[in-house]
Amino acid sequence: MDTLIQQLINGLTIGSFYALVALGYSMVYGVMKLINFAHGDLFTLGSYIGYTVLVVGASWVTATFGIWGGMAIALVAAMIGIGVAGLVMERIAYRPVYKAGRLPLVVSALGMSFVISQGIMAIWGPNPQAYLSGWTPKDFLQFGNIRVPVLQIAILVLALGLMALIYWLVERTTFGAAIRAAAQDRDTATLMGINFNLIIFFVFALGPALGGMAGVMQGLKYTRISFNMGWLYGLKAFTATILGGIGNIPGAMIGGLLLGVMEALFEGYVSGAWKDVFIFLILILVLIWRPTGLFGEKTAEKV
Amino acid sequence: MRKVFVSLFVAILSLMLLLTGCGGGTTTPTTPPPTETTPPPPAEKIVIGLQAPITGDFSAEGQWAKQCVEVAQDLINKAGGVLGKQVEIVVVDDGSNAKDSATAAQKMISQGLKEVIASYGSSVTRPAADLYDKNKVVSVGYGCTAVSLTMETQRPYFFRTAGRDDTQSEFFAKFAVEKLGAKKIAIMHDNQDYGKGVADDAKKFLQPSIDAGTTEIVYFDAITKGQSDYSAAITKLKEIAPDLWFFTAYYNEAALLIKQAREMGFDVTFVGNNSVPTPDFEKVAGDAIKGTYMLNEPMPQFLTFPESKTFMDAYKAKYNELPGSIWAVYAADALNALCAAITKAGTTDPDKVAATMRTMTDAKGITGPLMFTDRGDRKNIPYYAYLYNNDGKLELFWPK
Repeated sequence: MDTLIQQLINGLTIGSFYALVALGYSMVYGVMKLINFAHGDLFTLGSYIGYTVLVVGASWVTATFGIWGGMAIALVAAMIGIGVAGLVMERIAYRPVYKAGRLPLVVSALGMSFVISQGIMAIWGPNPQAYLSGWTPKDFLQFGNIRVPVLQIAILVLALGLMALIYWLVERTTFGAAIRAAAQDRDTATLMGINFNLIIFFVFALGPALGGMAGVMQGLKYTRISFNMGWLYGLKAFTATILGGIGNIPGAMIGGLLLGVMEALFEGYVSGAWKDVFIFLILILVLIWRPTGLFGEKTAEKV
Repeated sequence: MRKVFVSLFVAILSLMLLLTGCGGGTTTPTTPPPTETTPPPPAEKIVIGLQAPITGDFSAEGQWAKQCVEVAQDLINKAGGVLGKQVEIVVVDDGSNAKDSATAAQKMISQGLKEVIASYGSSVTRPAADLYDKNKVVSVGYGCTAVSLTMETQRPYFFRTAGRDDTQSEFFAKFAVEKLGAKKIAIMHDNQDYGKGVADDAKKFLQPSIDAGTTEIVYFDAITKGQSDYSAAITKLKEIAPDLWFFTAYYNEAALLIKQAREMGFDVTFVGNNSVPTPDFEKVAGDAIKGTYMLNEPMPQFLTFPESKTFMDAYKAKYNELPGSIWAVYAADALNALCAAITKAGTTDPDKVAATMRTMTDAKGITGPLMFTDRGDRKNIPYYAYLYNNDGKLELFWPK
């Protein structure tokens, strides 16, 4: 029983990272019909921005604001930095080719992915970097046999809070209704007086900002960051997006959490070596029975 | 306006390429491609290739290998070079993966090199070794220890200065049973050539004690390489509660595993294999390294040969620290072995060099005498267990 609970906590933590990254994929896809392959690399860039804030500020940030304050500053810096990076990326890589159709857009996204990951390598070097242990709290809570670090709980709460916020924003506000309308039918939405450019601005700032924050959380939790780690997170988050139904906000969250929990349970009770095989088998099965994902729209869209 | 953005985009792209795309491309080879009928004109220099993971997962190892080979090259050149000529090194990056490794090997071959040092990682080295062998280029591996590299197929032109995994696995079985008295052993690998090889061999060498009923293997599974979260695997292991946990793959995963295990309050005895104890491992794992055991061939700081002292002094003078791992030192020894064989053979002809490598008995390296078996394996490599003490420093643990 203890083990099961522990595995569920493990799964939810990793799943919440997938979910945060998946949200960015899904929001951009919903509005632009673009699979933003550079999204995983923005996640990495966020991780490096947080790292740089903590390294450059070195003892100062942590000494002045305390451990929690230091982490919060790193998170906010990454959020703002990656939000801006997302906007810049949209401006230089996507807007010029938006009218050319979807294939050039995807190629442009792939190009952007290389530019970002190679750029990170050029600036921070090819060696992995480490979030130092002095930047994070060491406390943990003990429930019987289960030991959970306080940091992990904080990360989980923050991630779930962010997801709830996005859910509320997209599903419960007028602005969210505008986003959903723009995602359904751009032309009609524009005719109804919705400012499409503002919607694009919003999704390209917010989606990447979430990914950037997830990047910092991943650094705080797992210490090691490397310039090419975005690829794996991008792949997993993309899988989560497909699983939940691409373009669907609650779908991306549930897909991410579900993926994390399934991974943890499969690794814990069957075999770690076959984990990815199992995950992609599940994905194939879901796609056979529900081609638009678990929460996808009823009508399949031809790409 | 749009054109400005597009040009900016292209400019950034090309800048990235300039900054990152040509690592190690600073030296150009001077040998012309040889023709089949006439022997190549005598070159001014003896050019030897170094294929190393300058980028990718093992980039730290690649950089050290490059630095070590360059220091060894300086020492050789200062002592008069080889056959009266200066030695030149051409570095090609193999990106720490098998696909780019084949491309790197092609690049070396097309440049007409006859002797190369290649490479780190058994899965990475394998495709390159095949290509070199097919094209009659002598290649010497320095960080590739999978048994199958030499024992599965005989490659007449392949050698390695590093030892073989089964030596390590045999040592592990002895260390775990005789020294630590472990009864319940967990073995974890990463499903790659190297990690799985060590794990399988460890199982094989533990078999006598398993048959005798004194030891059992309670866990034998793989983790996925390149992840950040291994808490699922650790939770499973924690429930099984082994006395000893042997991790048989690389330092990146080892660091995360031990850190996360200690965070979860899992205090099992941890044994890392020969690719684990590196500065990167220490940096990422932090305090979690204390009290962990590492199996390794003699580490750079524990080498005692006169050649080791000369080399380490030269390295320290240049980089102000010791090489980060033994594998980089083996890369330097690969150069020493090739140079010794070329000197002895009096030519860079790959057939003669390969034959000389197998028979030479007097070549002295940084890590001891450089002698090779018919299959291309290094002879006489000792093994040791090291312990990270309470200051987080490595000390020799067994056998003293």
